[in-house]
Amino acid sequence: MNIDYTKELALVEGNPRLADIDEIITRPLTQPPTRKFYIALSISSTALLIGAYSLWLTLYYGIGMWGNNIPVGWAFDITNFVFWIGIGHAGTLISAILFLLRQRWRTGIARFAEGMTIFAVMTAGIFPVIHLGRPWLAGYLIPYPNQHLLWPNFVSPLLWDVFAVSTYFTVSLMFWYMGLIPDFAILRDKTVDKIKKTIYSIFSLGWRHSNRHWRHYEKTYMIMAGLATPLVLSVHTIVSFDFAVSLIPGWHTTIFPPYFVAGAIYSGFAMVMTVLIFVRKVFDMENIITLNHLERMAKVMLLTGSLVAYAYLMEFFIAWYSQVPAEQYDFWARVVGPYRWAWYFMISCNALIPQLIWFKKVRRSVVVLFVISICANIGMWFERFVIIVQSLSRDYLPSSWHMFTPTLVDFGVLTGSFGLFFTLVLLFAKTMPVISIVETKSVLEGSQPSVHGGSHHE
Amino acid sequence: MAENFDKQNNNGQSKESDPNYWQSFKELYKDISFTEAKKLEFQKGVEDEFDVAKLPGVSRRKFLALVSASAALAAAGCADYNGNGKIIPYNTKPEEITLGKPNYYASTFIENGQDYGILIKTREGRPIKVDGNPDHPVSKGKTSAKAQSAILSLYDPERLQQPLRKTSSGNFMKSTWQHIDQEISSALAKADGKEISIISHKIISPTTLKVIQDFQQKYPGAKLYSYELFNEEIRNSAWEKCYGSGLFPSIKWDKAKIILALESDFLGTDGNRVETSRMFADNRNTNDLDNFNRLYSIEGNLSLTGMNADYRMRLRPDLQFEFVMSLLNEISKQGVGGISVDPDILSQFNLYDFAQKNSLYGNVLELLVKDLLKNRGSAIIHAGRTLPENVHVAVNLLNDALGNSKLYNPDTTELPDFSLTKKEEWESLVQSMNEGKIGAIINFDSNPIYHLPPDLGFVDAVKKVPLVISLTESENESSELANYVLPISHPFESWGDAQTRVGYYSLQQPVISPLFYTRQKEEVLLAWVSGDYKENIYHDYLMNNWQSAIYPSLNEMLDFNRFWLGALQRGIVNTGSAPNSINSFDKTALAVLKEKPKNISGYVVSLKEGYATGDGKYANNGWLQELPHPVTKVTWDNYASVSVATAKQMNVEEKDVIEISLGERKLKIPVVIQPGSADNTITIELGYGRSKCGVVGLGVGFNANVLMSKDSKLTPWIYNSASIKKTGDTYDIVSTMEHHPINDPLVSGVVKERKIILEGTVFDYKKNPKIIKEQRLTDNASLYDPHDYPGVKWGMSIDLNKCTGCGECVISCNAENNVPVVGKDQVKVSREMQWIRIDRYYSGSAEDPHVSLEPMLCQQCDHAPCENVCPVAATNHSDDGLNQMVYNRCVGTRYCSNNCPYKVRRFNFFNFKDHFRDGYQESNLFDLVYNPEVTVRSRGVMEKCTFCIQRIMVAREDAIREHKPLKGSDVKTACQEACGTSAINFGDINDNKSEFYKYRNNELGYYVLENLNVRPNVTYLAKLRNTHSEEA
Repeated sequence: MNIDYTKELALVEGNPRLADIDEIITRPLTQPPTRKFYIALSISSTALLIGAYSLWLTLYYGIGMWGNNIPVGWAFDITNFVFWIGIGHAGTLISAILFLLRQRWRTGIARFAEGMTIFAVMTAGIFPVIHLGRPWLAGYLIPYPNQHLLWPNFVSPLLWDVFAVSTYFTVSLMFWYMGLIPDFAILRDKTVDKIKKTIYSIFSLGWRHSNRHWRHYEKTYMIMAGLATPLVLSVHTIVSFDFAVSLIPGWHTTIFPPYFVAGAIYSGFAMVMTVLIFVRKVFDMENIITLNHLERMAKVMLLTGSLVAYAYLMEFFIAWYSQVPAEQYDFWARVVGPYRWAWYFMISCNALIPQLIWFKKVRRSVVVLFVISICANIGMWFERFVIIVQSLSRDYLPSSWHMFTPTLVDFGVLTGSFGLFFTLVLLFAKTMPVISIVETKSVLEGSQPSVHGGSHHE
Repeated sequence: MAENFDKQNNNGQSKESDPNYWQSFKELYKDISFTEAKKLEFQKGVEDEFDVAKLPGVSRRKFLALVSASAALAAAGCADYNGNGKIIPYNTKPEEITLGKPNYYASTFIENGQDYGILIKTREGRPIKVDGNPDHPVSKGKTSAKAQSAILSLYDPERLQQPLRKTSSGNFMKSTWQHIDQEISSALAKADGKEISIISHKIISPTTLKVIQDFQQKYPGAKLYSYELFNEEIRNSAWEKCYGSGLFPSIKWDKAKIILALESDFLGTDGNRVETSRMFADNRNTNDLDNFNRLYSIEGNLSLTGMNADYRMRLRPDLQFEFVMSLLNEISKQGVGGISVDPDILSQFNLYDFAQKNSLYGNVLELLVKDLLKNRGSAIIHAGRTLPENVHVAVNLLNDALGNSKLYNPDTTELPDFSLTKKEEWESLVQSMNEGKIGAIINFDSNPIYHLPPDLGFVDAVKKVPLVISLTESENESSELANYVLPISHPFESWGDAQTRVGYYSLQQPVISPLFYTRQKEEVLLAWVSGDYKENIYHDYLMNNWQSAIYPSLNEMLDFNRFWLGALQRGIVNTGSAPNSINSFDKTALAVLKEKPKNISGYVVSLKEGYATGDGKYANNGWLQELPHPVTKVTWDNYASVSVATAKQMNVEEKDVIEISLGERKLKIPVVIQPGSADNTITIELGYGRSKCGVVGLGVGFNANVLMSKDSKLTPWIYNSASIKKTGDTYDIVSTMEHHPINDPLVSGVVKERKIILEGTVFDYKKNPKIIKEQRLTDNASLYDPHDYPGVKWGMSIDLNKCTGCGECVISCNAENNVPVVGKDQVKVSREMQWIRIDRYYSGSAEDPHVSLEPMLCQQCDHAPCENVCPVAATNHSDDGLNQMVYNRCVGTRYCSNNCPYKVRRFNFFNFKDHFRDGYQESNLFDLVYNPEVTVRSRGVMEKCTFCIQRIMVAREDAIREHKPLKGSDVKTACQEACGTSAINFGDINDNKSEFYKYRNNELGYYVLENLNVRPNVTYLAKLRNTHSEEA
């Protein structure tokens, strides 16, 4: 394929009319659900129900229903938490950072990625609560004035988590909703259904597409993007403090903040890619979410995947360089110890497989990208598993070492988290515009003034 | 509970007099006004009004009455409280009880023919903890794990609660004592001259024996049989051969500088371990290096004693005779006289050839011989009780020739007219049973069907006896075949006395009224003797017996009643008798030493007493079942322990099930590979595999008693020429420490390079007292100024020279701190709750490993890593240096445990009370065992050791009330109290005049993982191995 690099690639292919854009994007909202939708929804809600039952068992009988033990006090619970928080990183990165960097290609994927962020953080947010031995006392983690003058322990990283995650969720939600307001207005204008009209009217907050509205909107959106940007970096930094601040070999590592952020973006993009490959096919949006979008996302994955690989190597280097026996042991045990299979999963999925993206053929093959993105998701889950479980199972005193073996309930809760996430994604796709209508219109060929005089068809 | 207390007061028996120790309750129970009030509680008219039957049709009142009646029925669980007697508020309290203050009663715990002096702590009339009686000359304030666990057995809800009678259909029916007494008395009377066999364990109580003698007088056909699964018979018979009379003496371990233990686990299960381990540890004092003892151990399987040996070698038990003979020959060659064994035979044994053939270390044996010769008169050679008689004779000869008989303390004694039943008598008993000559069998708190060798044919013979009566606390294999099962009281509900040494008697007094319709076993017999049961029948009998038989011989100044009360208070009575004398060695005994060296090959099976469950009696005790085995750390099972090479030869791995055949006798049992085992030696602990037992012990382990034979060639516990078959099955064995292959490159070296254990030798330490200090990292800097602890700051020290790794502290901690039992399934997933664990590390080769022990509990770090990560500040630091746990605040993130480098925190993954064995521990009765000073933790809460904070608080309150400063020595932790070797010390770090200060600042002191700079407050005194300098 010959590409003229002096010109920006068309962000929307097929040169649709403005009305077509409305049509394509709102089609899932206006048409009755298809058979495919019901199949997908039944699969995801089955997973959700499995999770709900597993959770019920956990709440009724106790954490003992999981495989956690002493020394491995955290296992699937916190692995899932960090995994889902990581997934939640792509959205805000795409919408906020790429917005600030004037990467207009973000338009096609931003709304969806933001939605996934919200759902992933919601999924993640369940785990810190349910992993508690006494989840009914979770309120103790919130600083509230009380007669005992008892406050939470402000030096505990778990408390920082509470603030970091809740802030991130709030800002992401607001940012997402802001972007939706003009679209809600379009939907309000288009729909004839009374109930829908009422709902859209409420959520569009009286938006009239006026010039003044747009001016305020653009300014606020910019400010929100500015606010959200540091959060992308801070949330996973603070999550990584859960480990970095402790003294367990394999946890107590200063490289964790950047390493976790890179990993989170890597896994977040992988998840967005996985889902979008489906969505663009199912909803016929291949013209708006183009192969170019996928290629660009693949490049981000290559970058962050390589950063993660670098961090892996650096951990080993530092373990050797530090001359701390316990630290050296832990990393050596990752490679040859009883959990080596998890480590091999992690290394191959996160460090080796993404290197295929260097090849353009790979980048532009939807099937291969899909496989790579699935691998990245698996690999990143195992990364957290290796860090948490393998480090805990082999810490300082060999007398206390013990392996972790997951139970069915562990897998049930994990399945349930996927069920919750995908159920929310499906409902989202059916009830809200998954691509920003107004923004897409703004990146159509000729929609913006340019030196080419608006149109440059070859 | 009121129900149970009431039952015993109203169990239909005569209440004429009850001057038992509950005397103070007497007035309360008999209070006239109370009784009157009870009668008047419902006046006639009131009751009439609610008679449902008299109400017309369906009326509102009838409906309400029915609703409330069914609600009341449901609520009361059909229990008619009123009908059961009084429930009593604690308004008028007994004189000796102060609410919140414990009372201590001296008593005696009898286990395997040994008596242990105990102090039972009671709170508001409820026994909650057992400690040693400091006045007891043998126990000296210490006691055994089994005695401590007895408190749990007392509240075992599966104890028999009333007499059972077998119906013609073969089921047991509940009955009452009156009926039982009548039926059995008439049945016994009808025995018309046939023998009535009483089968008992070893009896060490003179009064119990007298009860049996009285019984024999009343029923002349009665005959006493007795057994112990593990006993001193062989040792005693060898002694009698060598010295003409007497019993094998106790040993002055504290005078021994060289100890050679041959298949002897004298620190573990052989003999009175409370006494031996205390005396052994006395000579492991790092302040007295010149008297530091040296322990050589030669054994077939790594035992508790072997773990503590300075030199240890492995040898199959059936070769011990050859070894002792070779040693005799070598000693004789070195010019020691008096070894008058037939020289033709003796010369065939050569020590170094033997060593080479059996891969013993020749150089160590050389050192041993040198040591024995150098320390004549202060060395002791001790052969295990499972070894055959000729070994004991040879060992006696060796000790005699070396002048070591000075270390004998001939104070052991047995009751006159008592001896364990010999094999021939058992055989004739079984024959008589088969021939119908036995009228009745009374299992006198014994379980012969489980314990007697199966080839005796006892089980089948029992079925031919018309009347079988089992006196037992809870159902067992023997009671299943009985016609009558009579529940007997727990030792803590019983009176008694005991004599095992010439110098003193121990007294046993009850500390609680029987919880159920039980009688103590002596009472049962006495009722049949006198034909009339009275409530204090045995108490009176005991006092009378003492007054008439024992008191006169004591030359006491006090009158009997005052003497008796004083004796009960102290728990012991000194007789002032001098030890027996030892005759001179009788050379004719040496005739048994005529065996020549034989070629022994094939597998040998060695049966040992279970560390936790003893002979199986304690199988239903969760604390003991869950106590990790001191060596393998296995809980809830026994297993076949084999060496690495033998496992390879049998082509089995750990957890594979093998079938062991000794002729007709077969057993399927899983394998555990034990470093340090002798090759071709299969060691199995007995006391497991109970087939009739409560739910705790049922199906736990494997019954290896089936391998025993009445006609053993060597001894009842050692059988050679066993054959082994791999079954292909596997069986889950769970342990609290992972088994790592000893030569796994991943694991070896970890302990050393992380400085988890620091060790030295006595020789090096003498040369350089800083030897441990130099290995430590002491220049830990901190960014923060140290926190000030101006008052008392608590610390602990553990002397690893004294710690034998027995695990008694674990049981004591369980009892003190209400630690739940979690069961095998939870130990398997590493969720055991014990607050102390005894870490055991191997070093050296898999064949001859060295063992290092290290009790691990919360280190109460100054810079506690658990504290700063808790998001809700549920764990924090106190002004006196404790790392506290606030259970109410804990939400259960488990972050603290993750960040604990010692992993000593324990998490309630379930409500373990209801999780274990389908809520077995939820029984109301179990609540009585809890220490009221300690919160019972709910699920989802983290817990850990807090240096017995409840004891600290009591001491602090006392100090405040008495207007004096709190001192470190005011507090003793539960583990410290229980430690038989006084390895654990506790006190105030800031008090530089205290005894504890010396431990805290000892040159041998080190901290585990010091390089983490968490500043722990548990000081470990490094172990010094007393090896020869030329070895080091």
